[in-house]
Amino acid sequence: MSDSTPVAAADQQVLITRIFDAPRERVFRAWTDPDEVAAWFGPEHVDTPRERIGIDLRVGGRYELTMVRRGGGGEFAIGYEILELVEPELIVLRSDPMPEVGMHEPTVVRVEFHDHGAKTRMTLSDAPQPPAARGHAEAGWSAAFEKLATLVESTP
Amino acid sequence: MPTDQLSLTFAALADPTRRSIVTRLAEGEATVNELAEPFSVSLPAISRHLKVLERAGLIVRSRDAQWRPSRLQADPIDEAVEWMQSRKQTWETRMDRLDAHLRRKGEQDE
Repeated sequence: MSDSTPVAAADQQVLITRIFDAPRERVFRAWTDPDEVAAWFGPEHVDTPRERIGIDLRVGGRYELTMVRRGGGGEFAIGYEILELVEPELIVLRSDPMPEVGMHEPTVVRVEFHDHGAKTRMTLSDAPQPPAARGHAEAGWSAAFEKLATLVESTP
Repeated sequence: MPTDQLSLTFAALADPTRRSIVTRLAEGEATVNELAEPFSVSLPAISRHLKVLERAGLIVRSRDAQWRPSRLQADPIDEAVEWMQSRKQTWETRMDRLDAHLRRKGEQDE
């Protein structure tokens, strides 16, 4: 994988692209070192305590953390399986289903890190993945889906 | 197999032919023949796809007309789009925090 040929297929929906003012080795570490993840992963007013983060950094390994609401409002565990891992270029995670919040199917989070001068361009996509439709061939559906949303919204 | 609406919607849309059908129907109702036209698959194959979409509640098919034209149902799709947007929002917020974290660290390292 070189930077001139982005891994993201043209039709794959990329939800987010960000430029970070740090080399990609650094940004990759922020995603894979539990000390680092603890510092940023939780949403506002939620902590992700270091001692409740487990990252078994290998393909097939687990990526787990617990979000704890500040001021004692309960906690919420999330877990992923690491599907792909290329340091410092790529992480693909498949979430465990979380039926209690309406997520009955896994989603696949794909994070790519590209050199952008001295900075890093990160792309992140997060798409539902029905169990019967595993693999990259199905990654393109959400792009069509977004277009569809536009069409539907403009149709009475 | 989960039967909640989101799972049904996403499962139904996990097939490229069905996505094309739905995109076509977003422009207006169409018969099986019209829907089959752009594809190199048989009419029965298209009918099977329509059944999946119908079961998922994404389309309705007219009962009486001879060619049973299909029409898109927007509600489940709106719901799925909303869900996707909330996922996006979650990640945007998280990336703001990652950005702030990298900046803080960068200053400390200097």
